[in-house]
Amino acid sequence: MSAPTTNIPVAIPAGASSGAPAGQANRTPRTIAGSIPGARGVAERLLHGTPGRMRLFGLLGVIAAVLLGGVSANALLASQSAVERAANNSAQVVRVQSIHVDLLRADAVATNAFLVGGLESADSRARYEGAMARVASGIAAAAAAQPADGKALGVLAERVQTYAALVEQARSNNRLGLPVGAQYLTQASTGLRADAIPIVAQVVKANEERARMEFERSNSTVQLLIGVVSLIGLVALAVWLAKRTHRYLNPSLTGAIALLLVALFVTATVITGISTATRDVSRGDYERAVALANVTTAGNDARANESLTLIKRGSGAANEAAWKTNRTAVDAGLAKTDQSAELTRSWQAYVDAHVKVRSLDNGGRWDDAVKLSTSTAPGGAATTFDAFDVAVTQDRDQAATTTVATLKDLGGSAPLVAFIVALAALAASWLIVRGVGQRIEEYR
Amino acid sequence: MSALTSTLRRRLSTLVAVAGLGVLAGCSGVTYAETQLPATTAPKPSSSAPAVAAPTCTNATQSYDPLPSLPSRGEITDASMRKIISKGYVTVGVSADTYLFGARDPFSGGIQGFDIDMARAVAKAIFGDPGKLQLRVITAGDRIPLLQDREVDMVARNMTMTCARWKDIGFSAEYYRSGQKVLVSKALPGAADLALTDLEGRRVCAPAGTTSLTKLQQVKGPVVVTAGTHTGCLVLLQQGKADAITGDDTVLAGLAAQDPNTVITSAKPITVEPYGLGLNRSDVYLARYVNRVIADLEADGEWKAIYNRWLAEPLGPAPAPPTPVYGR
Repeated sequence: MSAPTTNIPVAIPAGASSGAPAGQANRTPRTIAGSIPGARGVAERLLHGTPGRMRLFGLLGVIAAVLLGGVSANALLASQSAVERAANNSAQVVRVQSIHVDLLRADAVATNAFLVGGLESADSRARYEGAMARVASGIAAAAAAQPADGKALGVLAERVQTYAALVEQARSNNRLGLPVGAQYLTQASTGLRADAIPIVAQVVKANEERARMEFERSNSTVQLLIGVVSLIGLVALAVWLAKRTHRYLNPSLTGAIALLLVALFVTATVITGISTATRDVSRGDYERAVALANVTTAGNDARANESLTLIKRGSGAANEAAWKTNRTAVDAGLAKTDQSAELTRSWQAYVDAHVKVRSLDNGGRWDDAVKLSTSTAPGGAATTFDAFDVAVTQDRDQAATTTVATLKDLGGSAPLVAFIVALAALAASWLIVRGVGQRIEEYR
Repeated sequence: MSALTSTLRRRLSTLVAVAGLGVLAGCSGVTYAETQLPATTAPKPSSSAPAVAAPTCTNATQSYDPLPSLPSRGEITDASMRKIISKGYVTVGVSADTYLFGARDPFSGGIQGFDIDMARAVAKAIFGDPGKLQLRVITAGDRIPLLQDREVDMVARNMTMTCARWKDIGFSAEYYRSGQKVLVSKALPGAADLALTDLEGRRVCAPAGTTSLTKLQQVKGPVVVTAGTHTGCLVLLQQGKADAITGDDTVLAGLAAQDPNTVITSAKPITVEPYGLGLNRSDVYLARYVNRVIADLEADGEWKAIYNRWLAEPLGPAPAPPTPVYGR
């Protein structure tokens, strides 16, 4: 990022004395022969006396102009690429959160289907398979999108495979009417939460961290300080030149300074714009997408816990406690996102159904509790939960899509501006050479 | 002049090229540290508490005298029973995965088996309706704490009557007699005749908190593996994490029925396991009431009918019911 600054020394002529030995010496007429001794002689001659200093300062002025242009263009491009990376990291967060949601959704469907007893319905089987298919393709897509996640996702894929295998074993045993099926299902659900979900959470956390880092990085105005220093140097040059020559206005040099000032200003404006817009996205749609994804996962986890509580028939106190934790998470998540009144209403409808399920079960009416928990009639737990799940997923997908699309658009104009700024710096360099050259000519 | 400008120009082009490279460097080259895997918690060592020296006595199967006859609901004044009656159902701790004794029927979703029928008989006696039950699925290790905390009124979950348990809870009269045997994978050499003592170095599974586990721990040779339930042991066996399971022959029959690759060995049972319905220690009246129910079941042939319904197929037709011992 700061690469250009390291190259300054290259531009300083080798062996150039600081220009200090000005003074009386060397009043001999300039001849062609004088330049023969070589480059060193040429350099000494060029930098000698006031014209020499003018040449030296002119050269430094050009360096300052180019430096300003380079730093500005670099800052612009850096902002743009930071926003782009922020977009990619946000997209990865969304992707992995989708895996999280789908894993818990699959488990909620599998456990609830088990509760119904007998053969699961073709519909719930299709929903389970759909969720697991999305998990599989999601893991592949996520691994391709962020190589740094590759290893973790590899382990996740392995754990998911174990989960799926246990669910299938539960299912085939269940079809044979063997109680060992329930044991496999419990093992699958427990293993999913203990072994797979923590990895998903870790990957989400890592990518949130990366996105946050890039959100912060998108403001590269600090680099422009170098530009400001360059500009001050140029103004100093202009003042020195004016004093030296008693000619106050040098149109070319002034033009160069004005041009660079505009370039610096435009750069700062564009970068600040990108950074402000990025911050708006990070605090708006992005935060909303993340919060809604958390709501969806907690909701589906709650639904699975409801089924597990019933499956354990009275020994599911731990699962009911987990349900309550999930509920707190959903409530908190919904409170964080504005415009979620509709979602809150539909979540509340499910909570009401769940409370009824619990009171039936606690009242010794397990069969009725199961009926209500699996009921697809209006007001049934299945109906109300599915309605909530669909609505929250829709909202979340929308927020996620908007986030990524907005971020991708943000840096769009930066390369063009960077190009124009670079051109302006070159033009300014030329103006400086012209302006200083003019004075040298006059001095002679 | 031209010399100066050309020099400057050359320098300039070099500078621009260098700055351009710098810009390029600014665009790319962000690499992230690899995502860390969550720290794995070390697997808990299979908690096989050292075998406690079991208190010995000679009257483990001795329960309270049955009531002379079943009183009607209105006649019952005992506080514990009144609570059950006003609640409207009996809360019974059962197993949902002990095939044939207490297991969930995947087709109906209901729990059924020999133990469940015993509980239903009690509910029928109290309420006139065998369905007035709240079945609470519990693990073997839950049985005593839940009875002590009165979370359940009764436990019907293949529970062996022992002297040690009598110190914590009460029991009905013996309603079934089982014995501890071994189920092994057919893959083991000479599988059909293996006894626990032959399983040196093999991993043998028993559910935590059971008398089977205590007995297993007293046998030298086998490596003890525990699970939450017998079915949990079957899963371990099917996953290759255990070579054999020890438990009551009735339970093992249920496991063997679920996996044709296993066999209950012909070795003699190493224990006698009298099953009783578990009750709270202070519910003596309830125990006497239940003993009357059991005695009636055995007298009118209902016990044999229940036995035949569940156990005739794997174990042959019903033997005579165990002789109850009263007088505690």
